[in-house]
Amino acid sequence: MILRLNWFILSVPFLLISHQLHAQNCNGSISGKVIDEHDGSPLGLAVISIQGLKKTVQSDENGNYRLDSICNGDYILLVRHKECDPLRQKVTVKGETIVSFYPEQRIMDLESVTIQAQRLTSQSTQPKDQVSPEKLDQTKGLSLGDALKTVPGVNTLNTGNSISKPIIHGLHSNRILILNNEIRQEGQQWGIEHAPEIDPFIAGKLSVIKGANSVRYGSDAMGGVVLVDPRPLRDSAGINGEVNLIGATNGRGGTASAFFDGNFRKLPAFSWRVQGTLKQNGTLSTPKYNLINTGLKEYNFSYALGWKKQHYGAEVYYSQFNTTLGIFGASHIGNLTDLDKAFHSSVPLETGKFTYKIGRPYQHIEHELLKAKCYFDTGKRGKLTIIYSRQYNLRYEYDKHPPLNDSLAALNKPDLQFEITTHTTDVIWEHRTARHIAGSIGINGITQGNTYEGRALIPNFRNYSGGIFWIERWKKKHFELEAGARYDYKWLRIYKYEYIGNATYELISPIHHFENVTGNLGAIYKKDSSFNVSLNVSSAWRAPSVSELYSSGLHHGAAAIEYGNPALGSEIAYNAILAIRYQPSDQLFIEVSPYYNFIHNFIYRQPTEEPVLTIRGAFPGFNYVQTDAILKGCDFYANYKIFKRFELTGKASILRAWNKTQDNWLIMMPADRGELEAIYRFKSHGKIQKAYLSVSALYVNKQWRVPQNVDFAPPPPAYFLLGANASITVKIAQQDIEFGLSVQNALNQSYRDYLDRFRYFADQPGINVLGRIKIPFHFGFK
Amino acid sequence: MNKKLNRLLVIGLVAASVITACKKDKDLVPVPQPVENEPEVITTMKLMFVDSSNASNVYYATFRDPDGDGGTSFDIFDTIILQPNKTWYTSILLLNETVSPIDTVSNDVLEEANDHKFCFTPAGVSATVQITDLDGNGLPVGLQSKWRTSGTGSGTMQVELRHQPGTKDGTCTSGETDISVVFPTKIQ
Repeated sequence: MILRLNWFILSVPFLLISHQLHAQNCNGSISGKVIDEHDGSPLGLAVISIQGLKKTVQSDENGNYRLDSICNGDYILLVRHKECDPLRQKVTVKGETIVSFYPEQRIMDLESVTIQAQRLTSQSTQPKDQVSPEKLDQTKGLSLGDALKTVPGVNTLNTGNSISKPIIHGLHSNRILILNNEIRQEGQQWGIEHAPEIDPFIAGKLSVIKGANSVRYGSDAMGGVVLVDPRPLRDSAGINGEVNLIGATNGRGGTASAFFDGNFRKLPAFSWRVQGTLKQNGTLSTPKYNLINTGLKEYNFSYALGWKKQHYGAEVYYSQFNTTLGIFGASHIGNLTDLDKAFHSSVPLETGKFTYKIGRPYQHIEHELLKAKCYFDTGKRGKLTIIYSRQYNLRYEYDKHPPLNDSLAALNKPDLQFEITTHTTDVIWEHRTARHIAGSIGINGITQGNTYEGRALIPNFRNYSGGIFWIERWKKKHFELEAGARYDYKWLRIYKYEYIGNATYELISPIHHFENVTGNLGAIYKKDSSFNVSLNVSSAWRAPSVSELYSSGLHHGAAAIEYGNPALGSEIAYNAILAIRYQPSDQLFIEVSPYYNFIHNFIYRQPTEEPVLTIRGAFPGFNYVQTDAILKGCDFYANYKIFKRFELTGKASILRAWNKTQDNWLIMMPADRGELEAIYRFKSHGKIQKAYLSVSALYVNKQWRVPQNVDFAPPPPAYFLLGANASITVKIAQQDIEFGLSVQNALNQSYRDYLDRFRYFADQPGINVLGRIKIPFHFGFK
Repeated sequence: MNKKLNRLLVIGLVAASVITACKKDKDLVPVPQPVENEPEVITTMKLMFVDSSNASNVYYATFRDPDGDGGTSFDIFDTIILQPNKTWYTSILLLNETVSPIDTVSNDVLEEANDHKFCFTPAGVSATVQITDLDGNGLPVGLQSKWRTSGTGSGTMQVELRHQPGTKDGTCTSGETDISVVFPTKIQ
């Protein structure tokens, strides 16, 4: 903003001259969209005016505006919106000119805008929580899960510090959906030690839709949907970008990430972006010892090309994610006796010195995504979007020890290897049939092939699936209603070698079919800006994953033998979620969101009666079975500005997860938790802006609601953590450079978390101080 | 200057897209076929007991899980039956019977003797075990041992293979379990 203003002042003399030169041709026009800078959603009711001319226009509900009969030349346009800082931008008119504006929301209003936003097509009545830009900055250099955890009701399921999976309302893995740049993330999601293969730096906006949502997004969206959205591509001439540098004390880690966005004056429809991230850390440490072999190396990059005209456009996006991460050495165990020994030892059986070297056991994962998208307006009130994507995911897992046989060991082959390739196609037609009705109709197709080498944990498979949906929304003054329905079909074929004796295996290839109808109904009542309430009743489905159908083997890290069940049917969730938001004044904002999720045919692992005897000794055996489960809970959020510059934010979430058939608690569910954060925002002082200091306290209760005699060890006790964040933006050489500092586990406490798989073996990492520098830059072309 | 930079960037991007897209596509195979890369498994442990006073007096005891951990369960699980008040020369044979020809895993253990140790724990039976083979560092291995039986009785004998890379010190505490079979044992 400041930069743009400066640039504006510099260009004034030039403008005066050029204006006169081009004053003859006056058939030009300016049109485009007004878009929220933070979340990319269109802003209606923005006022766009041309300085010096008496021309003013208001953007419509989709953010579109148009100004006609303008002479060619350079102008200053002023964009005003009640929730945003006024934006001044230079525009060169040459015939039909398209410019979009990205006014910045006033920081103080961010929370309320997300709620009051007047959008018709893109948003649903389902509650959507965005990770605030401030939190997104604070969690830079950490995992995607760490950023998502800042949303109430979202937790993470961890395998040490480097593998972190989001849990929404108690559901994770295949029961939530991650949309990476509109594409459903397809890797080996079923494994609890398989983190989402996404570079968090891609996200310009990170949001979570809580509750079942199959109608719009298809199978798997039982607990919620995570949306990872890149910033929109640039659409005015110039280049801008950002460089982020992050250092962390625990693990002596460093992250560097940058992106460049550009658009050429000569080719205004064309925009591009390149982005890349490098990350590395060494051995992490707890307050008392090092966590041996917890190093990580990661490199990611992406690029995007866009072609945008007023009524049509196209986009190509490619990203690659590559990581190699060590698995905490002492977590690999031979059998139950070893596990017991590891659990009863106060210090892990193996510790070691700090190193950046990654030894066995480790994982190497690659993920690539290619996306092509095109869209065009169909008449005045419709838009057709076609998206194709291809994803390739490779996962190598290396055991702790190489094979005994020297010639095998010399090959250094992964002990587990999966390759999965997924193609998806989406065709969506968004429309506005009448003044108050808008909707979308879409079809979607997926094909996927999986192959393995090494140990047979899950077999090869191929699947085809397709879905068709229709959603309509009606909106009038205080009310908003939504209804949708969807039909899905999935075909799955397995290719599995089964042991038939005498060192011989036989190929079996059964076929499974799944089909489901889902629906949703939603309503919002908005009294005025101070009160609104929404209720959504929806359903979702999920076909059992291949691991649940056919896994058969020893899970080394988990010290368990699992037996899949080919007779499993689809899971179906029926979900109700209420969100009440109350904002009596600018000082106070409260949100309470209770939910109830009934899951029919919920798949879980039930222990076998007898342990399974193997040559390695006895292991607990688990069969995959189905039950009816109820997950109910409530999320709370409150923000109170005690003084102008001092505010308190409170967050809490509770969850009760019940296995109805067994009359028992469900295992591995997040404990109740609450967090309080106090933040002081300093007054801007010349070159110093947006400075703040915050302190946060997190309390996580002991999860005592667990089934008895199923887990290897009782849940760890409750814990309390302190953290702090500070940030300051300094103008250096015309650039707004942001410096940040975050402290995690500030009191350097030893604690264990119920949702960390390593809790059997070791404590959580100790104090971690993260330092950040963010250098944005922005310059125009002549 | 900027124009040149732009052109370079465009060329760079196009080149990058050609180079990076796409990684090998196994999916092009119409039907994904399982690939042969058999992991190493130990299916069978065979104990052979030879009477020190009569070399033709030989006993065997075997544990076999024909497809390794998981899948089908064991199909042979013998009871060790030995006569009392005798010394038995005992040797251990480890096999991988999922491959053809059968792989003798105990040879690999012998090659990596510095990292491995067998441990024998009797319970309820009067037998003592003395390891007779040594690794390169003079520490016991256990592929060869001497079992001394005394009075009659029945109980169990645990035969354990510990993998102790870098930590082998002659004890049974460090490392992880590669094998652990508790044989029912009778001395009669």
